[in-house]
Amino acid sequence: MGASGWLFLFSVLMAAGLLFTMVFFIIMFSDLECDYINPIDLCNKLNQFVLPENIAHAFLALLFLLSGQWIAFLLNAPLLVYNVNKIRNSNHMYDATEIFRTLPNHKKESFIKLGFYLLSFFYYLYRMILALIQESE
Amino acid sequence: MASPAQQLPPGWAAEWDQNAQRYLFIETATGRTQWEEPFLDPEGALNPVPTASPPPGQHHTKRRQYAAGQTQAYYGADTIAPPPGPAYGAVPGQPAQPSQLFTPGLAAEGQFAQQQIGQPGQPPYYGGAQPEPEYINQPGFGQGPVYQQPGVGALADQFSQMNVGQKGLRLFTTNLLTAPPEPLELHRPPPDIILPPNSCLSNSPFANADPSYQRCTLNAIPTSNSLLNKSKIPLGLVITPYRSLKEGDDPVPLITDTVIARCRRCRTYINPYVQFIDGGNRWRCCMCSMSNEVPQLFDWDQVRNQPGDRWARAELNHGVVEFVAPTEYMVRPPQPAVYVFLIDVSHNAVQSGMVATATRTILENLDRIPNEDNRTKVAFIAFDVSLHFFSLPAGTSDSSMLVVSDLDDVFLPKPTDLLVNLTESRAAIENLLGRLNDMFTENHVIGSALGPALQAAFKMMAHIGGKIVVLSSSLPSLGAGALKNREDPKVLGTSKESALLQPASPFYKTFAIECSRAQVSVDMFLFSAAYQDVATLACLPRYTSGQTFFYPAFNASRTEDAVKFAHEFGEVIAMPIMLEAVIRVRASKNLRMSAFHGNFFVRSTDLLAMPSVPQDVSYAIEIQIEDNLTAPFVVLQTAVLHTTCFGERRIRVVTTALPTTSNLSEVFASADQVAIATLLANKAVERSITHKLEDARDALFNKMVEILSAYKASMTAAGAGASAQLAISENLKMLPVLILGLLKNVGIRQSAQIPPDLRAYAQCLLTTLPSQLLIPYIYPTFYSLHNMAPECGTVGEHGIIMPQPLPLTSERLERHGLFLIEDGQNIFLWVGRDAVPQLVMDVFNLPSYEVLRGGKTTLPVLDNPFSQRVNAVIQKTREMRRGVYYPHLYVVKEDGEPPLRLWALSCLIQDRADVLPSYQQFISQLRDKVNGSSY
Repeated sequence: MGASGWLFLFSVLMAAGLLFTMVFFIIMFSDLECDYINPIDLCNKLNQFVLPENIAHAFLALLFLLSGQWIAFLLNAPLLVYNVNKIRNSNHMYDATEIFRTLPNHKKESFIKLGFYLLSFFYYLYRMILALIQESE
Repeated sequence: MASPAQQLPPGWAAEWDQNAQRYLFIETATGRTQWEEPFLDPEGALNPVPTASPPPGQHHTKRRQYAAGQTQAYYGADTIAPPPGPAYGAVPGQPAQPSQLFTPGLAAEGQFAQQQIGQPGQPPYYGGAQPEPEYINQPGFGQGPVYQQPGVGALADQFSQMNVGQKGLRLFTTNLLTAPPEPLELHRPPPDIILPPNSCLSNSPFANADPSYQRCTLNAIPTSNSLLNKSKIPLGLVITPYRSLKEGDDPVPLITDTVIARCRRCRTYINPYVQFIDGGNRWRCCMCSMSNEVPQLFDWDQVRNQPGDRWARAELNHGVVEFVAPTEYMVRPPQPAVYVFLIDVSHNAVQSGMVATATRTILENLDRIPNEDNRTKVAFIAFDVSLHFFSLPAGTSDSSMLVVSDLDDVFLPKPTDLLVNLTESRAAIENLLGRLNDMFTENHVIGSALGPALQAAFKMMAHIGGKIVVLSSSLPSLGAGALKNREDPKVLGTSKESALLQPASPFYKTFAIECSRAQVSVDMFLFSAAYQDVATLACLPRYTSGQTFFYPAFNASRTEDAVKFAHEFGEVIAMPIMLEAVIRVRASKNLRMSAFHGNFFVRSTDLLAMPSVPQDVSYAIEIQIEDNLTAPFVVLQTAVLHTTCFGERRIRVVTTALPTTSNLSEVFASADQVAIATLLANKAVERSITHKLEDARDALFNKMVEILSAYKASMTAAGAGASAQLAISENLKMLPVLILGLLKNVGIRQSAQIPPDLRAYAQCLLTTLPSQLLIPYIYPTFYSLHNMAPECGTVGEHGIIMPQPLPLTSERLERHGLFLIEDGQNIFLWVGRDAVPQLVMDVFNLPSYEVLRGGKTTLPVLDNPFSQRVNAVIQKTREMRRGVYYPHLYVVKEDGEPPLRLWALSCLIQDRADVLPSYQQFISQLRDKVNGSSY
């Protein structure tokens, strides 16, 4: 299997991982709405995952950039910029004091990310298969 | 043209005179002629009518007579008695307000005419001999003025029926362009809550909570969200569940038998609006219609051990009650009250005299600290660049100081004797407080380790909870929570300014959350003359339900500063607080609490956590209508589960029932302008922090435009077209001026000169002050003292009689006058430049205006009636409101130093100031927007 095949195999796994993180976030948010968890615990839990998620995504984008997968990189660029911007303004962490006011926005964001990771998962899968077919020919 | 001949008395003839164009009357027997129509007989009642046209026919129909009467009354002719004073206090003899406004629902001719006449007369726009409007003591103005029109008995009857029947609130339209704001309007009670008959179990007048505890922006809830959106009025609840009681206030009834009936499903507490069914064995919840069993002991008088009268129970008769809670309501045994005082002893603090004043105040108030059960604990930590702990062993009068200078990893130097029982260690505490200032007099250390001091205090008390009282004179500079001076004059007035209002360090938020968890609340007393970052420090009280007090450039060598601080600090530590409290607001089905504003931590979607609840602090809650309301009335219930400071677990329940309505005009007629202004103030502050100050101002302005447009489109004949009027309902008449007051408030105002500390503090006040204090804070009170009526300032039936408040415009300032402007935080005594020496002598005991000095002052009480009256008015101003605030008194000379003068003038919000519009300009801006908008 060639380099691009390995690359997309890796990205499929990463996308799956990110997908699960988002599902976890959404479950936690709805737990908060149903009062199964208090905002302090929620924020402590979720904040552990925010940076790893962002770094994982940035790493993936970097791999695409370095390996010259332009389309894949361009697909990821908007989210990358969004994340970097959030970290620069230091509002990437969940704030327990504001969480109820901002909850609808957080949920919306998580759903959009979920959809994005889902689409990219299938895209990477497709590209991986494409790469494998090209090699075997 | 009817000839008058037929009505002439016998022996007279009438002849038409072509030259004079009128009738000539001739007595046929004598040949005498006259122009005037002769009398018939004394009761014939026809006066000679010197008219240029033939006298009108005498066969008036009743209807025409009425029409004539109407015209005359309309133009203020005094031949017809003016309508007896409507409840608004129309001034007799004053022409009624001409108005072409049309109110739907009053379309029938007669009613419309009535409305025209009954338009509340505009009180004269001068302060002089204006009779006290009667509504001050009226139960409510929503009942509408009672009209009586001579000769229109039928209509009057119809009206009185309407009033008796109370089918709903009636809407009175007023025109903002011709009706200047009238300060007394703000003292009116909110519109009446007119519940459908039989909705309440008891006839008690207290079945609905007093508006000072809980008031809603609308006293008739629209049945659907679309109706609410049509009116554009924000729906919200303003609550002050823990209100101080002044003399004459009824105490909150206490239910001691721990029989607490609650709905099984929605957990609503039983209240006067439930229904007893099944022969009184069950009750139906008023919120979710669940049928519940009545507890067995509900009808049992446990004190006398005999059957009791259910209908006498306080929870069925009172909107505000307090239950003593059984153990199911406790997570742990009731905690004692704990006070940890963090006192800044750095150079600045000692030099300003803050330490001396604070220790003396604590010492003087040791007996007033809530300690009924002798369990109260206190601790003292002094901090500069290191932490000074004091060991206060019980039974002795010695105390020892332990210094910890490791700020990175704060530890307590001693496991015991730091947090001590107030009663047992009384001697040591008194000794320490007496010496504390002397210990640090020579302290030249500059710097503040506030963060580590907070951590230490937290460690000391985290297992119990309680209150940390911080007294700090400088910007925290060491250890955790160190802050930088980020004040930048270039940023002020720009869109980046709101960054200065946001917390600079995450420490204060995370620490606040820890505190909230451990039931610790923080009060901040800040004193710095330089930048202290109030915005960041206020975060702690904000999320731990404490309070912030700011004394910029405090200097105890000025007696006024010391008195103010000592008074407020004393009141705060003596205040009976609620501990370990949670607040939950429940409402009828399809109403949801959607957003919360105030000092607390939102622990779950509808639960507010408050480690301590101070008195007289207000919270605002926005309500959302999720689905159509079908019930004829809705119930809003606030429950505060708390521990009193004498170790009793209690639940305070505040219940308000409001009717629902599907009628837009009733929605407008039931709007409570004071509550709306309070809610909007909270929303504006939040917006200014999360977005920009400019956005907050725009939001306020647009909200006002929206309300006016909605009113115009739906309630006036103008509809969508342009109109020369700016119509709003009578009960919302003051809303524009309150919004203008908010736009001009230090917390929101557009200006490049307001230091961020002052702004942040003003925002704290805007979000915590209850309506009673907030309204004067945004719309100050303005009295003219030199020409107040002779009884003002003397003791009358209801205490000291206050002068008439004037509208807030500098037109009223006279060059020879003495005026008082107060906003609940400051009192300005304005002295005109031509004040006669006698006045200055009488009030200030100084020979002339020239020697009078402006600035903070204490007014001498002199041996002359005028001085005593002025002092009485000031005294009353300081005492008449709830809350701990003790306003400073400033003497402002008309030609005195400009900053003080401008500050005082900025209270006159109806004037134009800098870039901010005057009231007239503001109103015309609103009108242009309303007419220009595409509704």
